[in-house]
Amino acid sequence: MTAPDVSVVRRFSARSLDAAAFEWTKLRSARSNRWTLLISVLATLAITAVVAETSASAPAGRHQALDPLASSFLGFAEYAVLPVTVLGVLVFTSEYGSGLIRTTFAAVPRKRAVLAAKACVAGLAALTVGELLAFACFFLTQAILSRRHGGLSVTQPGVARAVLAAGLVLAACAVAGVAAGAIIRHTAGAIGAAITMVYLLAALCLLLPAPWGTRLGKFTMPFAAYQLVSRHGQAGLLSPALSLLVLLAWPAVGLLAAAIVLTRRDV
Amino acid sequence: MHAPIAKVLLVAAVAVVFAAFCVTDLVRGAPPRHLPRWAWVLIICVWIPWGGLGYLFFGRAGRPGASPETLAPVPAAMAAAPPTIVPPTIVPPTTRAPASIELDGLTKRYGRVIALDGLSVTIRPGAVTGFLGPNGAGKTTTMRLILGLDIPSAGTALVGGHRYQEIFRPLHEVGSLLDATAVDRGRTAWFHLLALARSNGISQRRVREVLELTGLETVANRRAGEFSLGMKQRLGIAAALLGDPGVLMLDEPVNGLDAEGVRWIRQLLASLAAEGRTVLVSSHLMSEMAMIADHLIIIGRGRLLADTPAADFVAGARRDVLVKSPGASELATLLMARGATVRPDGDGVAVAGLDAPDIGDLALAHGIAIHELVPRHASLEDAYLDLTSDSTDYHAKALPAGKATVP
Repeated sequence: MTAPDVSVVRRFSARSLDAAAFEWTKLRSARSNRWTLLISVLATLAITAVVAETSASAPAGRHQALDPLASSFLGFAEYAVLPVTVLGVLVFTSEYGSGLIRTTFAAVPRKRAVLAAKACVAGLAALTVGELLAFACFFLTQAILSRRHGGLSVTQPGVARAVLAAGLVLAACAVAGVAAGAIIRHTAGAIGAAITMVYLLAALCLLLPAPWGTRLGKFTMPFAAYQLVSRHGQAGLLSPALSLLVLLAWPAVGLLAAAIVLTRRDV
Repeated sequence: MHAPIAKVLLVAAVAVVFAAFCVTDLVRGAPPRHLPRWAWVLIICVWIPWGGLGYLFFGRAGRPGASPETLAPVPAAMAAAPPTIVPPTIVPPTTRAPASIELDGLTKRYGRVIALDGLSVTIRPGAVTGFLGPNGAGKTTTMRLILGLDIPSAGTALVGGHRYQEIFRPLHEVGSLLDATAVDRGRTAWFHLLALARSNGISQRRVREVLELTGLETVANRRAGEFSLGMKQRLGIAAALLGDPGVLMLDEPVNGLDAEGVRWIRQLLASLAAEGRTVLVSSHLMSEMAMIADHLIIIGRGRLLADTPAADFVAGARRDVLVKSPGASELATLLMARGATVRPDGDGVAVAGLDAPDIGDLALAHGIAIHELVPRHASLEDAYLDLTSDSTDYHAKALPAGKATVP
């Protein structure tokens, strides 16, 4: 198997594909993952329907306050982001908890390859689920809204971008969870850190005195996500392009820190 | 206003069905983890649906009725699996350059604690090498360093001349079992092995082969959390054999195995070594090693104590003759003149360096009466304890032949 004529590039790609196949097999065969995803998808759809129903039956004056696009993703932000983040965290912490991580690193000794594979597999799985769920939420909400106020069509400007971005938010949260799990190793602590990253920092910023709330808050993931999934955005926050950058920067920085920590630390 | 109420009812119905499912699972299944049953019921019912999810994640103890106590038939089924190994199934006829493990000045410090202190030793192919030492001697640390899991403070560990991290698809070169209990409780044996196989480009056919080899094929679709320790050991050995490696490293593989399992391991390891593989097996029990190993490497407090063939270790172990005689002092002088070592032992003397017949003849020749003449052999276990209990004074590389005869 270690024929000397295998070139460096081919070895690298073989190693990467091996690691990805390894992680994918583990992800799909873990007991709780399918259940968690199924339940959170159902819960998200149910909450989305309730929100849309409430919004459709509200008096016309109050309805104006709600962005019909962003309101498609209220249930999404509540009931899909949290479980997916936790799934991302568990990708590492469940292995650290059981000791399986040593078997993993013995099978794939390049620790950064393991990190990359885990992040890619978790991110892509979350992206797939996220996109499907985002479109489902969008169409469900608009179908309900169109009965009274007229919903949006996916072909209207900015709408498709927002729905696609909603799916991407889920992938970013999953990868942020993977990074937190790799750095902290313990499930409870890592979930705390990941939730802080994807939720709590924004909530903390809202507690700050007036100008500072949005000044700092716009650099957190929830604000960036809101800018991406709402139709017109909110004044004083970042542009959608910059928001996308912010949304991706958090997991990216997390992965970078995880890569440094993993290679310098004993397993 | 009818539509929203219907929707809310639908959502509530789904949530209640989920909670009911969780509660049913909880009531019918084995005792849950972390919290008592009533606490989980409360959490599931109050915090819909997260309570149920939390239970499925953290509290669920396996399938309904599959508590470890009810698993008794399974080990019986495993015992029924043929324990004799058919070596040809292990090895497709590949040409393999024998790879040895070379440790050179391997040192590992954890803070101020020195776990491994300049260990230099070569583990050669073609024999089962027993890696012995008391708890905390550094056996597991050594194996972790060899696998590149921990970073050595100094020194190197090479497998077949390469650092482990440099080996492409390392499971084909080195199979290891560090901790048999380190499996995901929720994953079946089949998927555990399949994932590992995928990580090194190993075929599904090979996964089936190792399942068959370890007698696990009938339980391949059961979750590893339901396995007994002995079954987990077999699963770990199956994982180690996946890549058909030339080097095998097993940390305490006979832990939790019954007599049948120990015999199985012994035959397996012997046949693997006979094929020219390097087999390193650690244990803290000499009695286990005595049955398995051809060669012994003994460490204590992170230092090498002995590196010797197992047979030599036994031969070099303390061996003397207890002599009781009214003319003991006279006899002692005669014996020492013949080059024997004599020391008092109870109301007799212990004589080393001369056999019982020689001592008897010598006594007869000088007319000294002998009341007792008892040849004594230290067991392997005694020799090992002699070596390792000497905790204040470790002589690296001092072989027992020179050491054990001096009290």
